[in-house]
Amino acid sequence: MTELQKDPITRSDFLGFGVMGAIVGAILTIPPAAFVLGPIIQTDVLGESDVGTGWQEVGPVSEVSAEEPSHFKVAFPLQQVYGERAIQKEFPNSQKSRMKYKLDNAVWLSWKAPIEQQGRQGSNGDVIGKPERPAILDEKSEGFTEAERQEIMSKLNILSNSCAHLGCPVRWFPEKELYLCPCHGGLYDINGGWVGGPPPRGMYRYTDAEVRENGKLYIKHKFDIEPGLDKQQPYVV
Amino acid sequence: MIGRIRTQTSEASQFLVDWMEHRTGIVTMLEHFLYEPVPKRGAWLYTLGSAVLFTITLQFLTGILLLFYYAPTTDDAWNSVSYIMNDAYFGQLIRGIHYWSANFLMAFIGLHMGQVFFSGGYKAPRELNWVVGVILLLLVIGLSFTGYLLRWDQDGFWASVVGMKIGSYSPFVGGYVIHFLLGGDAVGPATLSRFFAIHVWLLPATIAPLIGAHLYLLRRHGVFGSEFEYTDRLAKLHERQRMEEYTRYETGEDEGEPYVGRRDRADRQGYERDGE
Repeated sequence: MTELQKDPITRSDFLGFGVMGAIVGAILTIPPAAFVLGPIIQTDVLGESDVGTGWQEVGPVSEVSAEEPSHFKVAFPLQQVYGERAIQKEFPNSQKSRMKYKLDNAVWLSWKAPIEQQGRQGSNGDVIGKPERPAILDEKSEGFTEAERQEIMSKLNILSNSCAHLGCPVRWFPEKELYLCPCHGGLYDINGGWVGGPPPRGMYRYTDAEVRENGKLYIKHKFDIEPGLDKQQPYVV
Repeated sequence: MIGRIRTQTSEASQFLVDWMEHRTGIVTMLEHFLYEPVPKRGAWLYTLGSAVLFTITLQFLTGILLLFYYAPTTDDAWNSVSYIMNDAYFGQLIRGIHYWSANFLMAFIGLHMGQVFFSGGYKAPRELNWVVGVILLLLVIGLSFTGYLLRWDQDGFWASVVGMKIGSYSPFVGGYVIHFLLGGDAVGPATLSRFFAIHVWLLPATIAPLIGAHLYLLRRHGVFGSEFEYTDRLAKLHERQRMEEYTRYETGEDEGEPYVGRRDRADRQGYERDGE
């Protein structure tokens, strides 16, 4: 092999090739890679989110049914491909600013039902009582005091309709008194606890929520995700 | 009259074929790529690979046509598909072919793999062709997956959400995989753009040269192993060719010079004559 090579590569040649190769390789690969992997850098490295972090209106809590869950539409603003933030700030009424992308998503609201007897696993086999609607809601639907608001919040289930298995939208089946996921048959009780099927946990709860003076519920796009499992979350806004 | 035209046409076409052959070698190449001895028994089974090639060609052609009307934005995607299906001339046919040949493509790939597996066609020296074929299979699965979302209807949307969430459960890289596919951390316009880019450029551009490699390796080693006495047949064929060449040489039909050399000399003489 060596005698075939007319001018053998010297140590400095090799190093030169290596250094030049690394520089040229970096120039050639880094821009396109960063271009394509931008979302990974933004979400996983910088920890940014496409979904607006502000409060979003859900609806009046007095409209939540006493017996079964009610669903409300929430539109979270989504900053992805469209919508230039600077332009939206400067010209809020321009056509470009109105092109903010929003996707309607259902939030299931229900009154917590007390667990009267614990089942074997998860919420499977639990004996569940009737949902407890706060009595104050019979008298007024807005202008709650601080104590009343706290009572309402402590009794309210605020659940994402995104199934904890693979994200399909779950629906309440009154005849079974369960949430059912249409994709693979995940089952949850009225409190969102796991009853059956493939989901590894109960339904996602919104952790940041508040009832305001006007009697309406407001939420933020945050869920009760266990640390270490943060890769599993409802990706459908 | 007709006889003369026929002779002239055949001479002209022969000249064209010779001219191309001399400059590109395409005739030998086509012969090499298209002709192959096939055993009589089970011959239909050996059309499965061609069926895959045919359906994937249909995918490329109808896909190019669909791009003339498809709009890859969340506002317009569904509407443009609806336009293709209801208003565009033969839109239903073109999209129907794209849709159904995608389905049949997966079926043909399955049958083709089964045929190769059960006939032992993956054994030495054809292992690499099996590997390339498996990569092709994975790429086609990627194409099916990304094509599903482009319709932006409930069916495709939720199927893609489920597929991406399955990807998010993969160990260590799950989060990166889903954030890459989503183009962020929620399904939105970026997701559709990405799936579109992957479906119409990234994967087809990757798949095309690999199909070429698959076919090249196929022709390099032939379809059949020794169990069909392929080597014996080929040896006999070569022997026959050598004998024919020898007889031609003996009877003085040519000077024993290879074809290309003869053409070369003829051309050179022609040029020299022109130059004088």
